[in-house]
Amino acid sequence: MSIGTSLQISASGLTAERLRLDVISNNLANVNTTRGADGQPFRRQEVVFASRNGGGSFASALSSARGGGRTGDAAGAGVQVVSIRPDMGRDFKVVHDPGHPDADAQGNVKMPNVEPVVEMVDMISATRAYEAGVTAINSAKQMQAKALEIGR
Amino acid sequence: MLDRLFGGDVLVATTKALDASALRQQVIANNLANVNTPGFKRQDVQFEDQLSRALAQKSNPCAPASSVAIDKIRPCVVTVNSTSERADGNNVDMEMENVNMADNTLRFDALAQSVAGFFAGLKAVISGGK
Repeated sequence: MSIGTSLQISASGLTAERLRLDVISNNLANVNTTRGADGQPFRRQEVVFASRNGGGSFASALSSARGGGRTGDAAGAGVQVVSIRPDMGRDFKVVHDPGHPDADAQGNVKMPNVEPVVEMVDMISATRAYEAGVTAINSAKQMQAKALEIGR
Repeated sequence: MLDRLFGGDVLVATTKALDASALRQQVIANNLANVNTPGFKRQDVQFEDQLSRALAQKSNPCAPASSVAIDKIRPCVVTVNSTSERADGNNVDMEMENVNMADNTLRFDALAQSVAGFFAGLKAVISGGK
């Protein structure tokens, strides 16, 4: 139970949102990539977030053992990215472009399943969440500075 | 007498409230960090109602012996499962968390200022007002 923990929690949120932004940027950069790693067009990636559980620490176990009474839930300990997985739910877009180097015999090209509009919306969402984390960090810093004024 | 000079229950209650405020900041930071986590349910800190109960019991001479003393109450983290307005099951409302955070920061500042003022007064008393 300290302000330092709040900073760690907010930092985990910032790290996760930045990684999400990295993945979104990669998707947008590869919006026209027809040759991915496995010879297929580039497949859109998405990050999977999971909340970190704060129950396991020594301090929380000690405080609940000492308190004896109603302890409630353990406060969470932030967020983590558990995986970056390919988006298999959306098919490749097929475009008719006979002049394309990767066109098949009928002149069709399989393009990546990246939707720029979806990526833009995700990007706004990630940016807003990042800003919220920064606000939380500033707030925690202000509280810490105020606590240092006690007894001055 | 000496107990009252050194704050007594008021100082204990104020420091408890500071602890609760720091914990609430931690919980709000966690809610905001998990704003995009599917299935995450927001957490909240319950403290003020416990404190007001303890203070009411203290001022009531007929309070049962089982009543909770002020120095024994502790803030309690609860998970709020009730509301969810998003398809991914997450019920964090970013605006509400931001408002709660601003409120909590001001509350912490006020409490810290009150404790600081108490110690300043104590210092003045010890030095004889010089």
